[in-house]
Formats: sequence, C-alpha cells, structure tokens
Amino acid sequence: TKWAGSRPKVPATDLALQHFDATYGLQLGDLWPSVRIGMLSEKKYGALLNNFASDSDIVSSFHSQGCRDFISAARSTESQDPELHDHTAAPLSSNIQCFVFPRGDVSRFKPARPDSNGLLSYYLLDAASVLPALALDVQPGHSVLDLCAGPGGKTLALLQAQAVRFLWANDLSGSRTARLRRTLQSYLPRELLTEDRVYITSSDGRQWRNKDEHKFDKVLVDVPCTTDRHSLTEEDNNIFKRSRTKERQRLPLLQMELLLAGIQATRPGGDVLYSTCSLSQLQNQCVVEQAVSVAQKEMDITVKVQNLSSFVQLFSHTFHFAPQPAVGELVLPHLCANFGPIYMCKLQRIS
Amino acid sequence: FCRALCSTPLPPQLIKHPGKELTLRSLAEMGFSETQAEMVYDGAKKHRCKHDAPILVGLFALDLNPTSVVKILEKCPELYAVKGSQLQQRITNLRKLGLHEGSLQRVISHYPQILTLPVKRVSAVSRLLREKCQFTTQQVTDVLRDSPHVVQEEHTRLEYMFQYAFFRMGCLQAEMVKAKLFRLSMEELQCRHGFLERRGLYQTPDKKGQTLILNPRLKDFLLISEETYLSKIAMATQEEFDVFRKLMAREQEEERKQEHGDDDD
Ligand SMILES: C[S@@+](CC[C@H](N)C(=O)[O-])C[C@H]1O[C@@H](n2cnc3c(N)ncnc32)[C@H](O)[C@@H]1O
Repeated sequence: TKWAGSRPKVPATDLALQHFDATYGLQLGDLWPSVRIGMLSEKKYGALLNNFASDSDIVSSFHSQGCRDFISAARSTESQDPELHDHTAAPLSSNIQCFVFPRGDVSRFKPARPDSNGLLSYYLLDAASVLPALALDVQPGHSVLDLCAGPGGKTLALLQAQAVRFLWANDLSGSRTARLRRTLQSYLPRELLTEDRVYITSSDGRQWRNKDEHKFDKVLVDVPCTTDRHSLTEEDNNIFKRSRTKERQRLPLLQMELLLAGIQATRPGGDVLYSTCSLSQLQNQCVVEQAVSVAQKEMDITVKVQNLSSFVQLFSHTFHFAPQPAVGELVLPHLCANFGPIYMCKLQRIS
Repeated sequence: FCRALCSTPLPPQLIKHPGKELTLRSLAEMGFSETQAEMVYDGAKKHRCKHDAPILVGLFALDLNPTSVVKILEKCPELYAVKGSQLQQRITNLRKLGLHEGSLQRVISHYPQILTLPVKRVSAVSRLLREKCQFTTQQVTDVLRDSPHVVQEEHTRLEYMFQYAFFRMGCLQAEMVKAKLFRLSMEELQCRHGFLERRGLYQTPDKKGQTLILNPRLKDFLLISEETYLSKIAMATQEEFDVFRKLMAREQEEERKQEHGDDDD
C-alpha cells in the first residue's frame, strides 16, 4: 500500500477500537461483544428504490433474489396489530421503499444500472439510515431542510417520499455538496431539480441561526460524528488519528450547535430529527438533552422529545434496537442484521 | 530389520504356510469369521493381491485382532497392495518417530493411510514440525499420535497453521500440542479465534507477551463442542456464529483473489 512508509505506529483504527472498548463496554455491557463483532465485520446494505426511475423489473428481480422491502413488510404488521396503529410520532404513509436481504443472509446487491432515461434504479446505503427520513414523516406540501446533507443518502430517501414541496440541502463541505448534486442528478429527473424545488448550498450549518426568513416544516440534522463503523475499518480520513484528537473532542459541541440551528430553522409545530451514526451517549442523548435545555433557556424555544418507540417496534424484525435509551432510539449493529449504528431522536418545536 | 515385525509372534497359521495362496479357508484359519473372510478375500482380489497379503502379516504382527484388521482394511483398501518390505520400513519408521506399542496401534487403526505413504514423506513432515515449527521430538510424536493425518497435509498449510497460532494468536508449541491444534482445519481455527477476537474476548499478545484481557487457553476453546464453545466461551448465539462463518469464508476468498489477481499491490 502506498502509505506504508508514513503510517503511524498505532493505526487510528486500533485507537478507535481501544476507545470504543473502554466507553461502549461500559455503556452497552453484555451487548457490547455482539455489537463489536458486527462493526468489525462486513456491513449489510439496503437498496433504496428510486421511484423516479422506470425499471419496471427491478422489484420482481429483488423478490427473486429473496429480498423484500422492509418498510411495506412493517406496514403489513402494523395493519394486523391494532395496538401499533395508534402512533402519532410517525405514521408509515410514505412511498419510500428499501429492499434488504433477510436476517442472516449475507448476499450482496449488484451495483444499480441506469434505466432508459439514464436514471439509476436504486441507491445502496445502510438500510437503518432510511429510518431518520421515515421518522421525519414528510407530508405533501412540506418544506424540508437537510442541514448536513452530503453525500446525500438521506436527502435521496426524503425525496423518495414524493411529498416534499421544497428541499434545502446544505453541507459545509463543497466537495460533499458537489457529490450530492451528482447523486441527485443520477436519480432524479431534471425537472424536479430546479432551484425552486431542490436548493443546494455549502455553508456552515451553525450560521443558520441568523437566517430567520426561512422556517421549515421538517428539518433533518444528520451531524458529523465519530462514524463508528468507518473509524474501525478505514485508516483514511479517520477521526481517531492523534492529530484530530481536539476535533473529535469538540464534536459534541459542534453537534449541539448544529441541532440548535436546526431547531431555530423549524416552524413552531414542525419537527427536527437529530441523527448520528455513532453509539456514543455523549454524541447522542447528551447532545439532545443539552440542546433542549439551551433552546429553552437561551432562545426561549420549547421543544418536545417525541416518543418513537412504537415506530421502532415496527422495524424490530429488520433491525436490532438498543433497549430504550433515555431519549431517542439507537440501531445496534449485529452479525445477523448488520446495519447501523444509527441514533435518531425526533423533536417537535412547540413555540 | 525384521525385529519390529517379529517382536510379536505371528499366528501359527501364517508361519506354517508362508507364501500360501490366499483362500477363504486360510483366512478362516487366521481367525476371521466367515463374512470377514469373504470381505478380506474380495478386497485382496480387487487389489490384485494373489499371495498372502503382507498387510495381514503386518497387522497381525502388531497384535491387532481380526475385527480391527477388517476395519482397517475397510477404511483403506489400498493397503492390500503394499509390499511386505515397504510395510516393514514404514512401521519401523513410525516406531523411530516415537510411536510405540499402544500409540502405534491407535494411529494405524485411526488413520491406516499412514502405511500407504513412503517413509520419506512421513519423515519430511516430522522434520518440518521439528525444524520449521520448533516442536520438540516428543511434541512431534504427540502431534503424530493425536493428528496423524498431518502426514498427508501440504507443508505450506501446516506451516501456515503453526504460524497463525504462534504469531497471530501468541500460542506456544506446548499449548498447540495440548489443544490438538492440527486436528482442526485452518478455517475452523480462524473462525473460532476470529470470532472471539472480534467480540473482544481474545487479544494477540504484544512484544512483551502481554494482553489487556485474559485470553482463554487454546485447549479450552478448541477441544470442546461448538455448542459449549458458544455458550461458555464466546457467549454468543449459533445464528451469529453461522453468519460469521459465512463472512469469514468470503473474506478469505477475497483475500486469496487479491493476492493472486492484483499485481499493483
Ligand atoms: C454524517 S454526514 C451526513 C450524511 C448525509 N446526511 C447522508 O445521509 O448522506 C455529516 C456531514 O456534515 C457535514 N458538516 C460538518 N460540519 C458541518 C457544519 N458546520 N455545517 C454543515 N455541515 C457540516 C460534513 O461535511 C458531512 O458531510
């Protein structure tokens, strides 16, 4: 490998593992070994179906390969179980379809191919990262802000609901917004990508506080985090490199500021969804709890944590959820359903 | 030379009729039951062994009874074709390698194929274990006794298995012998070890031989059933282990492909 010469003595992936053993061992207790081996083994993907492409065979091809749309599968459980029916947090009315191989099946998806219009028929992503988009529950006519959108997996999921009236996708990094733009161009017809429908910017999400003119119905705050799975497997761009220690330690603060900015961008009555791909309590519950209290004290904004437990129960066939964190929900990696980690917490702005 | 063979007295029938053609009757005289005699007779015929099969002399000389002899020949009919002189050399060689009465009979009963292999081949494996893997002479004997099939393994595979246990897992030769390491396939070893390692229950010792956690001893997680391994050592479900096995197989397959395919790296 090219970098062998300049490689640090202890690889960052090892530093990450040491760190996780110390913190998650305590946090997750007996669950940690199963989560650990999940994160150290090949992850599973989901295929987010592109509703804008016209490959009519793709669904039957997925079925013949033995995979199924986990969202419609959950919806059929929902209709059978009246107790689950009454959940206000996030009814499952969306058009989003995401195909996965069954529990324990380690088959892989082939790369998607373009249809006759050049649009790709599906997007491969961690199936659990569709959950924040589902939980946000975008309804027809809604305006949506995706504050940290690059490279665009969740943006694409939000757009698949075919309900968004206007979507503003932002990311600090110009290269990431460029990638987002390319992704959207490969999945959406050009007429849906006009600036009055999908608006893309590269700016610091924390500065959103100052933009008071736009208020959104739904805001997704999918913050930068320790990207636990990535940090355990890739040396490149690893946040556990010694040179990035300060940056890593400042993450919770950055996350809280981004969440606060997201809260400010939400109209009263609207929802914010905070998510990470880390197991860290410090980056998950603590950030949410802090932000809720700072919003109240310093901005006079009341936000209410939404209960997602019934929503989560619907998907318990597909994902392993952590036993009730204080706020929010957490998908735990597990060899038999190797998705996540994904943490999400839904907040409603009251005033 | 003949000492080995003659150390136990031959059954009188064999001494009385040396070189006598093999018949159902002569077999019965050796102590085989009627059905056993038929099996041996057919087997011998199929392997074109017209005269007194030297293997019978050899096996009886080891004090094996007719029932054991039949079992051995069923397992490895190729033995009918082995010449008397070769057989003697091979048995002598096994004794030289430390397999004495009891062990010798056990090895031959378990793994009769060992008598079909040239002396050179068996000695080469024992040399490999002593020189490249630094097992003591006694340890080599123990390995041959516990896992005689090593004599038919590819040398690179044996050496790789040793190196994996020594360098990757930090085990010493004595532990490997105790754990009967070579009974396992490489895949099984990597699965049992890798599963523990990724769960955070096994660590490769550092240069000073230290680990942050207490590793289970090799024999404590190799010499047990999979069920016990999962419930007592790995504390995981069968479902997880089954998935892990599939993933490991694929990871290794891909590593192999990379080693052979890409020449950039
Ligand atoms: C977890 S990723 C988002 C993944 C994306 N939502 C998806 O599903 O594909 C976090 C993103 O936050 C961006 N980011 C980091 N700091 C930021 C800031 N201050 N303002 C806005 N975006 C930021 C990073 O460039 C990164 O693309």
